[in-house]
Amino acid sequence: MTITSLRQKLLPDGPVLDIHVHPLNCFGSYGVSSPVEDAERLIATACRSGVTRMCVFSLHETTPYEPTPDQCRFANNYVLRMRDAQPDAILPFCYVTPAFPDEAVAEIERCVGGQSMAGVKLWVARRATDLGLDPIMEAAVSLDVPVLQHAWLKSTGNLPGESTPYDVADLARRHPRARIIMAHLNGVGHRGIEALADVSNVVVDTSGGDPESGMVEAAVNRLGAHRVVYGSDAPIRHFGVTMNKVLGAEIADADKRAILWDNALRILNLRGETGDPS
Amino acid sequence: MIIDVNAWTGPWPALVNVPYDVASVRSSLHAYGVERIFMAPLAAAWSANPHLCNRVVFEAADAYADIIPVPVIDPTLPTWPAELEKAAGHRTVRMIKLMPSYGRYGLDAVDELFEEAARANLVVTVQIRINDPRRHHPLAMVPDVPAGDVAEAAKRHPNLKLVMGGASAATLREFAAQVRDLPDLYADTSQVDGVDSVKMLVDAGIGGKLLFGSHAPVFMPAAAMARVLNDLPDDAAVGIMKDNAAGLLRA
Repeated sequence: MTITSLRQKLLPDGPVLDIHVHPLNCFGSYGVSSPVEDAERLIATACRSGVTRMCVFSLHETTPYEPTPDQCRFANNYVLRMRDAQPDAILPFCYVTPAFPDEAVAEIERCVGGQSMAGVKLWVARRATDLGLDPIMEAAVSLDVPVLQHAWLKSTGNLPGESTPYDVADLARRHPRARIIMAHLNGVGHRGIEALADVSNVVVDTSGGDPESGMVEAAVNRLGAHRVVYGSDAPIRHFGVTMNKVLGAEIADADKRAILWDNALRILNLRGETGDPS
Repeated sequence: MIIDVNAWTGPWPALVNVPYDVASVRSSLHAYGVERIFMAPLAAAWSANPHLCNRVVFEAADAYADIIPVPVIDPTLPTWPAELEKAAGHRTVRMIKLMPSYGRYGLDAVDELFEEAARANLVVTVQIRINDPRRHHPLAMVPDVPAGDVAEAAKRHPNLKLVMGGASAATLREFAAQVRDLPDLYADTSQVDGVDSVKMLVDAGIGGKLLFGSHAPVFMPAAAMARVLNDLPDDAAVGIMKDNAAGLLRA
């Protein structure tokens, strides 16, 4: 096998939509001076691994666990500037905190309703069982966008406001019309997969943790390929390392294509798009 | 030709429905062009006597010419000199592995072993971690080996060739200057993650000290390949995936 043929084997044979990306100014090892530079550098490295489009959400450059509404607005404005610089590649998500439900709903209306952001991002301010999420979920349903909810099962202990997959399942049952993306397949593991088995309005993204063997296969076998979606969690994780969890998995080629592209189009209501915009 | 300096065989509690026998691991790496596999016994991590686990990799080397055994030596066992001698006398062994976190010893207690390994011209890999501590079983939490302890050992033993195995990208960025400046300190790429992570280490001047490691079967070979190949030109990638290891390990 030549290096050239090996390189080819590690790249996708079609377009790829990464549903879980942060700006470099949140978690990246590179310093960037502006949202425009952030978008350019992020896309350059994503392209080397074959990613064509990405959902991007900022958690504010200081990544506070308990952001203020102002910090959320600042983060969202940053991502909107990234989107404006690279509109073909970047689908921005609106970051809000359930600690301020009224402000969160207003921010969703501003960003999703007014600026056509593609989804809502929830991190670790409150667990998904918190009732502060309810108006946020109702706003997302009303505007017909998905919500990406951070989740982990850490043996070292979750943060106080950090959701487990069981919390996400609870959220999904409370809001059966919501489309929920649970982050971090490799962070929630086999127990996380099981927690989602009977809540059909949740898909799991492939990010989180190391590229452990067998996890994508386990998710596809238990949930179905239609409920698994490619997410890298870049820049914390490498676009290509995460993508090759899917490309290297022992699953059908059609399932790989669904995970890398088709499922994201369905979740984001972009079904009219069928190819590589570049 | 690709040389993998950090492959394993054997059971790992967190692996579910993943084949870990020698033939399966070898096949999974062959699929991505790996032609030299430095293989250690994964069961050694949890064994009261890791030396008993080395048999599987010695037998693998008898069965397959492309597998080079990496026996795990536990310096807290009185039999470590004999196990080291066995490794040194084996026709293909070039490297031994230490798992200090699992054996519950510090590298400051290993100086005699390091001296003997250097005399036998054996490379020593110190396994920093096997997987993310956040994903450990809650009743089996094992801390990482402090990478600084490996760098200090490299300073104390200038005739010893040492490899940091399984260090994270953040750890290697933190210790890049030591890896660059200590002539016989190396690191593998098996747990380096993050955007441009290997490329950034190359840019930091340690491309000549990086060795490709897959961490198979715990991690997926394809993912290990991508972190090196997707961001680097051929010459830098071939250095990490073959030339550096060939020079160090005479493979």
